[in-house]
Amino acid sequence: MDIHELIHSELTKCGVTLAASLPDDWVAPLIRRLAADPAIRHVPVGREAEAIAICTGAFLAGVRSVAIMGTTGLHCCIGEMMSINLRHGIPVLIVCSLRGTPEDHQIYQEQQGRRTIPMLLAYDFPYVMLEKPEDIPRIPDVYNHSRLQKRPYLLFVTRRLLNAGKKP
Amino acid sequence: MKMDAREVMAALKAHRGDAVVVCSLGTASSQWWNATRCEETLYMTGGMGFAASIALGLALSLPTTQVWALNSDGSLCMNLNCLLTEAGQSPKNFRHFVIDNEVYQTLDKPMPMVNQQGTDYAAIARAAGIANAITIDNVADLKARLPEIVTTPGPHFVVLKVEPMLDYPPVPPYHYEGAEMKYRFARNLEKKLGITVFGPRGY
Repeated sequence: MDIHELIHSELTKCGVTLAASLPDDWVAPLIRRLAADPAIRHVPVGREAEAIAICTGAFLAGVRSVAIMGTTGLHCCIGEMMSINLRHGIPVLIVCSLRGTPEDHQIYQEQQGRRTIPMLLAYDFPYVMLEKPEDIPRIPDVYNHSRLQKRPYLLFVTRRLLNAGKKP
Repeated sequence: MKMDAREVMAALKAHRGDAVVVCSLGTASSQWWNATRCEETLYMTGGMGFAASIALGLALSLPTTQVWALNSDGSLCMNLNCLLTEAGQSPKNFRHFVIDNEVYQTLDKPMPMVNQQGTDYAAIARAAGIANAITIDNVADLKARLPEIVTTPGPHFVVLKVEPMLDYPPVPPYHYEGAEMKYRFARNLEKKLGITVFGPRGY
């Protein structure tokens, strides 16, 4: 089964019915899958912080949601994650590409790669890495953990996972 | 011509019905609280710019419930692209009001908005794809138009031109915030709408 299909399936098991997204090329296939799912309300946004806020509104309405974005977008919306979600204790699960790792050869991701994890540690935002297909079934536990933690929670899609998905 | 923010809030209060409201920080939150004491309202104390997006998330998740964003010009300018997203989703149960006083009101001494008096937000909303986008600058018009605004399918975008307040409160008048704001707002929605936001253990 395709990596993105597996993630989609696990998000469905979590009860996710709303996905707000702004793509980078690593998570775009997942976004296309969710957008094509009639059971999920897909909300394309113009800025990543919108996705955070829309998922916040969904939470307050009792609807399970996910925000999807790239690493650069994560850096762009850190302030809103602090002033909206940390301030009120509102969880949001964010599926995010982990760019700038040694497997990522794009020069424009290098700065983000060195600072993403230290940034999350500074804000005390939990994160889980999806590095191999066997990690994907952890998603329902991660979703429930995000509810317990009551704060933004990162689920990283890594290059190693995407490469594993390409193997015959 | 511009309106007094208190008169605007009184008119909106008279037409809220059962709508759930999300207020941006500043004038919208403080004056809506003063007018209504409504706890089916989320009053923002941070996240400037994103009250409208939170309201959109509520509207999309509660399609049979009327949802209002009570925004301000300063907050709108921090998240103008929300108008594209609202147009893209076009929720019929969504109304987006903007309290437009042309200043950053919450400072000790208000300072002018970027491009003060030079921006037509309703025109921006129409260009973004929200057909029902208007500006109202007097209370008689507001009272005359609100019945249609709240009963016809949305999304509606309404700019409300008000005077800056000379006696703006130095601290927000609502006496709760943070996690208590989350719980009071969402517990009220659970009771009002019969939805489940929190599990049996409270998270």
